Amino acid sequence: MASIRIRMTNKRRKALVGTAFISPWIIGFFIFALRPMIYSLYLSFQKVKVTPLGIKTNYVGWDNYKYAFVSDTTFVEKVLHYLREMALNVPIIVTFSLIIALLINQKIKMRGIFRTIFFLPVIITSGPVINELLSQGVTNIPNIESYSMFEMVKQSLTPAVANPIMYLFKQIIMVLWFSGVQILIFLAGLQKVDHSLYEAARIDGASPWEAFWKLTLPMLMPLVLVNFIYTIVYISTFALNEIIVMIKDNMFNTTTGFGYATAIAWIYFVLIAIVLAIWSLLLRTRKS
Amino acid sequence: MSYQGTKINPTKFHRSQLKFYVFLIPLAMFMMLPIIFIVFHAFKPVNELFAFPPRFLVQQPTLDNFKDLLGFAGDSGIPFSRYVFNSIIVTLSVMFLSVFMSALAAYALSKMKFKLRAAIFETNTVALMFVPIAVQIPRFLVIDKSGIMDTYLAHILPLLSMPIGLFLMKQFIDQVPDELKEAAVMDGAGEFLVFRKVMLPVIKPALATVAILSFQLVWNNIETSSYYVNDESLKTVSFFMSTLVSQNGNNVAGQGMSAAASLLMFLPNLIIFIFLQSKVMNTMAHSGLK
Repeated sequence: MASIRIRMTNKRRKALVGTAFISPWIIGFFIFALRPMIYSLYLSFQKVKVTPLGIKTNYVGWDNYKYAFVSDTTFVEKVLHYLREMALNVPIIVTFSLIIALLINQKIKMRGIFRTIFFLPVIITSGPVINELLSQGVTNIPNIESYSMFEMVKQSLTPAVANPIMYLFKQIIMVLWFSGVQILIFLAGLQKVDHSLYEAARIDGASPWEAFWKLTLPMLMPLVLVNFIYTIVYISTFALNEIIVMIKDNMFNTTTGFGYATAIAWIYFVLIAIVLAIWSLLLRTRKS
Repeated sequence: MSYQGTKINPTKFHRSQLKFYVFLIPLAMFMMLPIIFIVFHAFKPVNELFAFPPRFLVQQPTLDNFKDLLGFAGDSGIPFSRYVFNSIIVTLSVMFLSVFMSALAAYALSKMKFKLRAAIFETNTVALMFVPIAVQIPRFLVIDKSGIMDTYLAHILPLLSMPIGLFLMKQFIDQVPDELKEAAVMDGAGEFLVFRKVMLPVIKPALATVAILSFQLVWNNIETSSYYVNDESLKTVSFFMSTLVSQNGNNVAGQGMSAAASLLMFLPNLIIFIFLQSKVMNTMAHSGLK
């Protein structure tokens, strides 16, 4: 009996310590993230007017949601574009960061410098740099075609070969700029892999190619999923993302207003959740 | 990955490494371009600023853009240093507090057992997906009601909870073997001591990563200044820069000033990044994670 009681109190104490560790985060999270989220759900069913005296709301039911799909033609178009981006670019970004991580995990000279450089996008895609680049139109892909390197590709190859290469190059800018943290996550995973496993595999006659598929990839699989989630979230909530810009524009628009903006935000939220669910389902089945 | 005999770790340059460089060097150059551009752009005289297509390198570098910026800053009444001071206070507090809180919470979620553990992490993942700007008005109401308008707290508190930070941190801590903690507990260490002495040194790469991300978030943030703070003397540098640019956005001098302002805003980013990322890379190799 006594031993049971001690275990119970021990368990309870552990739970208490755990709660104490996490409570600062929970309190902040509830006040500044969760509560506003729930309130914004409420607002999405309202017509919201911001007046000098305060915020006036007027219940309109599902009107805001209907408006998004029926009356607002640009929204549906942007959603489709977003979904296409999610289907194509996310796997490209994750694959690319895996390749880069494998390359800079090799024992080559100057690898510290390479690691720094490939981690740079973290500071490029947020803040003043990307704003400046966007306002200068440097991220506009047509401009990049005017550089001589791309001219060379175009002139020396037939259109059938050149176009896919050009497409890849266009994607590469985005892919590179969005893959900083992912490369880091893969690198951390790669360094955990036990070297003796590779030696054992080599003694058994496995080629490096086979070792990658049979050893490295299975071990990195949990991180692949993490990176998929991170990439999707990162692109989706990127401040210059089309749909986000649209939400921002509608927020203080007098005809549509904040209610409509939150309605789009919630639709978008559900979309992101669906995209995440589909990708994690696909990756999970492949694993087993 | 060609066969290299018994030599596993080449210490010098070898011809077999060449193929890695063939891929890495062009890509690395590509990564550097935006930064080179932003540096040179700030020093361009007017005629080069408007050149089309935009040129990367500056032909006749000038400091006029910076002079314009400083001259303009003198007119607004509040000294430039005040904005910088505000930004530094806010940025440092958010960085330290949010990294510490995320690490603490991630440690609890990963290595302790208690009720609602899974539920809390799921909630966090859901919050990850939510677009931050959609909660702007509700957040404004929360801050208004809690009476922290026009204080530093209005800058700091809304940015503290960082779902992506907790997410990354927990993934890192999940990789740390439980034995590390158990060994310390065997020796009689309490949870906080384990966290401080065992866990924090091991997850330094994650701490540095989240610190970099958090710095980006705060340093560049203009929303807290424009919505939650009315007192001009409590606003941050990024807000000040954005007003400069928007007030002069259309005229010729504005373009140059905005280029100079971007570079000034970007430099702290780069410095913090270079400083922290060396920690990321160095500790990863011998962090005991193997």
